[in-house]
Amino acid sequence: MSSEEHIHHPTPAQYWKIAVVLAVLTAIEVGLFYVNQAYDLGFLNAAMLLILAALKFVIVVGFFMHLRFEKSTLSRFFTAGFILAFSLYAIVLTALGVVAIRGG
Amino acid sequence: MADLAHETMADHEHPEHESTGVDNRKLGMWAFLSSEFLFFGALISNYLLYSNRSGFAGPYPSGIYDIPFTSVSSFVLLMSSLTMVLAHNALSRGDQGGTRTWLFATAALGAVFLGGQVFEFTEFIVEFDMKLTTNPAASAFYMLTGFHGAHVAIGVIMLLSLWGISRRPGGLSEKHGMNLELVGLYWHFVDIIWIVIFTVVYLLSVPS
Repeated sequence: MSSEEHIHHPTPAQYWKIAVVLAVLTAIEVGLFYVNQAYDLGFLNAAMLLILAALKFVIVVGFFMHLRFEKSTLSRFFTAGFILAFSLYAIVLTALGVVAIRGG
Repeated sequence: MADLAHETMADHEHPEHESTGVDNRKLGMWAFLSSEFLFFGALISNYLLYSNRSGFAGPYPSGIYDIPFTSVSSFVLLMSSLTMVLAHNALSRGDQGGTRTWLFATAALGAVFLGGQVFEFTEFIVEFDMKLTTNPAASAFYMLTGFHGAHVAIGVIMLLSLWGISRRPGGLSEKHGMNLELVGLYWHFVDIIWIVIFTVVYLLSVPS
């Protein structure tokens, strides 16, 4: 393993705290699902669920995959792939009429 | 002859030449994971295109999802990312016993997730008669979640292989440490793809 890996990585206790945050975010997602079933929040439901998913995504990539502690070369590789895929399929889905997923 | 001797010596002193400053295997894994966005992006887009297409017989996936059950499965997979990173952390501290325990825990949680998926598929097919060819939405659903499940299964096999190696005398060496890190990256990636699938395919698909 390279030397930089031992410098900034979180401790096991910090990993547990991160996992608790992830669990809470998941609980909020599921709670929001049931609130939407009862009150039909419309676009707000979709927006909030996507923001929560994005938060979980960033936390796992940043802390568990250690991307925020790695060299920028790796971040560029990963981000480029994500932006390419996201842009491509956003264009495809928009062109084919799937503009909003649900609730829009 | 002198050149050959020099070359051989250089090979021993610098087994891997990395102009990027990043281990080539790690760079390769990140490049592979980056390309996987395109793969899963295609499957998720396919689902979004067909999930609401009317005019076909049979139940649609969004009408029969068991959200509480899938929520628990999602939680299990999310926690397997914690155990994976704890295995990596334990190895970096030279804690072979901890590495073994957390590796096995990760594989076990992955197996539980897979068991949940098998149960879900069985329920959809037997109880609701939603098969792979019932309608385009069902096909898209099984393709997406099936391929994700296949990724999880491959991950479980790799984790169990590492766990088997860790049980040998001496445990995991520094060379295996990189293997564990690469398997960990793959495992966390499988988790982040599920984070997207759980939100987009399950939570946002069910009509309110």
